[in-house]
Amino acid sequence: MSEKPTNLAEQFPEGDRLKSFIDRRKKMGLVWRLIFQASTIIAIIALVSLLYNIIVGAFGFVAVQNKVDPASLVLTVEEERMLSASNTFSSEDDNELVAGIEANPNAIGFFGYAYYIENSAKLRAISLDGTMPSAETAESGEYPYARPLFIYSTPDILESKPQVAAFTNFYLSQVNDVIEEIGYFPLSEETLAEAKQNLLAALGEDPAGELPPVNPAELGAEPITISGSSTVYPVTRHMAIAFRRAGFTGPLDLEQTGTSAGFQLFCNGDIDIANASRPITRAEVGTCQEKRLEPVEFRVSTDALAIVVSSENTFLQNVTLDELRQIFTTAETWAEANPAWPDTPIERFIPGADSGTLDFFTVTTFTRSLDDLPKETLLAMLENNISPGLLRRYEAEGPMAERTTEEVLNLVKERVVEQRVVRSWTLVESIFKRAEIEAEVAEIPQAELEFRSWFVPRFLTTPQASVPEFAGIRTAIFGSLWTIFITIIIALPIGVGGAIYLEEYAAMVGNPTLRRINAIIQTNINNLAGVPSIIYGMLGLAIFVRAWEPLTSGTLFGAADPTTANGRTILSAGLTLALLILPLIIINAQEAIRAVPQSLRQAGMGLGATKWQTIWSHVLPNAIPGILTGNILAVSRAIGETAPLVVVGASTFITVDPASPFSKFTTLPIQIYQWTSRPQAEFRNIAAAAIIVLLILLLTLNGSAIYLRNRYSRRMS
Amino acid sequence: MSHYQHELSSNGKYALELRDLHCYYGSFCAVKNVNLTLERQKITAFIGPSGCGKSTVLRALNRMNELIPGGRVEGKVMFHDQDLYDPEVDPVEVRRRIGMVFQKPNPFPKSIYDNVAWGAKVNGFKGNLAELVEQSLRQAALWDEVKDLLNQSGLSLSGGQQQRLCIARAIATRPEIILMDEPCSALDPIATLKIEDLMRDLVRNYTIVIVTHNMQQAARASDYTAFFLMDRDDRAGELIEYGVTNEIFTNPKDKRTEDYITGRFG
Repeated sequence: MSEKPTNLAEQFPEGDRLKSFIDRRKKMGLVWRLIFQASTIIAIIALVSLLYNIIVGAFGFVAVQNKVDPASLVLTVEEERMLSASNTFSSEDDNELVAGIEANPNAIGFFGYAYYIENSAKLRAISLDGTMPSAETAESGEYPYARPLFIYSTPDILESKPQVAAFTNFYLSQVNDVIEEIGYFPLSEETLAEAKQNLLAALGEDPAGELPPVNPAELGAEPITISGSSTVYPVTRHMAIAFRRAGFTGPLDLEQTGTSAGFQLFCNGDIDIANASRPITRAEVGTCQEKRLEPVEFRVSTDALAIVVSSENTFLQNVTLDELRQIFTTAETWAEANPAWPDTPIERFIPGADSGTLDFFTVTTFTRSLDDLPKETLLAMLENNISPGLLRRYEAEGPMAERTTEEVLNLVKERVVEQRVVRSWTLVESIFKRAEIEAEVAEIPQAELEFRSWFVPRFLTTPQASVPEFAGIRTAIFGSLWTIFITIIIALPIGVGGAIYLEEYAAMVGNPTLRRINAIIQTNINNLAGVPSIIYGMLGLAIFVRAWEPLTSGTLFGAADPTTANGRTILSAGLTLALLILPLIIINAQEAIRAVPQSLRQAGMGLGATKWQTIWSHVLPNAIPGILTGNILAVSRAIGETAPLVVVGASTFITVDPASPFSKFTTLPIQIYQWTSRPQAEFRNIAAAAIIVLLILLLTLNGSAIYLRNRYSRRMS
Repeated sequence: MSHYQHELSSNGKYALELRDLHCYYGSFCAVKNVNLTLERQKITAFIGPSGCGKSTVLRALNRMNELIPGGRVEGKVMFHDQDLYDPEVDPVEVRRRIGMVFQKPNPFPKSIYDNVAWGAKVNGFKGNLAELVEQSLRQAALWDEVKDLLNQSGLSLSGGQQQRLCIARAIATRPEIILMDEPCSALDPIATLKIEDLMRDLVRNYTIVIVTHNMQQAARASDYTAFFLMDRDDRAGELIEYGVTNEIFTNPKDKRTEDYITGRFG
């Protein structure tokens, strides 16, 4: 106290000082607000990047490589069916086929259109779905047994090698004059003009103009190398001979390797011209572009098959694709394929197994994809391609007759085609680096690019497998659910009970020694919540797995799983996790019980209710929302635990669903942990998918707890 | 049934008799040496400044003090010639016979019906619950207001209604004595008057002990008044003066009582 009383009101800031003082305090508040906002944003970013990581891993392109090409597998099966059909005569010599058909009104066969033309006096071509083979219907694709023939080159080659440009020019100018000789259809004027325009454009000239005349004799002795399709080969050979006759002196190297191999050489820059019996694929263009090659396409002709009968045949004018399939496979008589036809046996004349014509016919007639095959065909494939022992094993697991087509298809894919994912890409790579991925896949033999979601229903319903694309998490989901169920039924009552004792009774204990013990217990529970989970695993191993083995293995009850019969069971895992989350549940339940207003307890007791009546009727119902919240957190932690379960002895490779608490087990986090530590990238993809499942499982459990909590809260107020 | 039930007819003079009552929280003596007899079917008011121990004494009357960790009572509280603090006496039975209404209305977060019925249920009531609930609500002058809302939560009522619900809840166990710890301190004047009217009605059947800060309320509503004050030296509350309300307010014998009721302190 000072002598002279000062005016204390003057000690507060006033006027401008007041204003700046308030501003300063507000700025301080703003800084804190920004700090809090930043923390929230960091948390959100962390969560989003976690989700991003998972989703990017769970979806994306994969390169699927088949050890056996499924198309050729289908082809083999169908060709076999055709060749083994009754009354079937097969020969590599088309003349034998012609001879067989010509005088037989019940005969049918097919071969290149050229042979039909040669023998049109004795034979009659029939229409397919109303379409007769002709130059027009073949070129437009209306007639299905027709395929376009091409040659390919690039503007660079055409410009830098005048002999290649001249040969192409010669080819396009003359091909229509000689094509029928070779047995293929000539092109229409428009299509040929288009090919010529392509050449002019590639040479950097006006596409509307005329091709310049060619004089091969004036060209130097520079080489031309050509390779590719064996179907185009005779045409190109014919043109090459004519080119040389016209005076070309350089070496002309012409090979037949097949269309795909031809493109590979071409895109590698090894040849000047590629012969092709199909258009170039996107992937092949990608491979070419990597070498800075821009393929230019020139259509040169159309190839077609004729389906023929004897000229003495009176009933067959037209067939449908369906009828054709039956005629060449299952049908014994004509009437079986179509009741309008006579009931006489079909006599089939088809090209031999080594013939490309048979392949072309089969590919066009029958479906090319495994997915479209009937179950019977798939079963036949399985029987032909896997060992009888393996087949018996599958039969024992589930009779083939009872399996669905899809299951059989998966078996075929796994065992016969041996489909493997050889490379996978993340979602982001798949979206932004598509061209690079396609080019990469093109270099992998027999590989196909496929967009795959690893998170599919099959993933949930199949057990673990050694191949990532056939592995699932069914066993792990059941293991997790069982374990968590046991954890909850043990930890929840014990934890809540302990919390009730500590909150409601321990404080009222009069005895000082007991009070001290209670205080020590309380402190220890708080500390236990922070003990590393691996310690709980060691405890679980020592007590539940080893010491309590008769109990946890079930031998005590005579319920032991014959495959396990040791303590490494779901029960041990559940008990261990229950121990782990017990402190969390107790602490959270204590908080919830403490939050119940004291006045409610007094009101209850004041009415003459006993302590327990008051706790049961008023304290617990009001604490349940809080207890459930704590339980959600604790159970979420238990679901995600890996380390203690590794110690307790979770199986990392198990394909049998757990059947009881005494079964051996695996859980989702164990599975994820095991997959992420594998070297192949595909395991990380399925790990990501499994994480999504784990998150969904957590969300479901939490959601139901939140629902329960809200229902209770509503009832309370 | 009860071992003091038969005493009711033989000794009807006092509802409760406090003999040398000392109340402790841990080692701290909060109230010392209270001797007091409470008349049957009368309203007795405990008044005094904050911290004088009047609530503690009230809570000692149905053994609510021992629910607070460290709470302990010495001395005797005689009820039908039986000491409530006798080791043989169960506090649960004491609280059934001596009900309590608290300072802040504290209905259970349950329906109005359950609020009233719960106490009877836990005490083994075998009769018609609906009838008991209706009668209790009528006695608490709440029936007309809530008879159509019996399934609504007790918390949906206004403060005054909630407090009357708490009174109905207390009388549903048919106690002999109702202890009221500042029942109107959280209420507006109109609700306060309603409670006071209710007390006048109830006192025909029950003995009521009320703690109040409001001296007008004590003067208006009570038959007897006990004045408590904290001893300056040991901070323990003690009973200064007790008598008929009129006497205390018009002709206090103790100087300190006079100072308090005339507003010189407190």
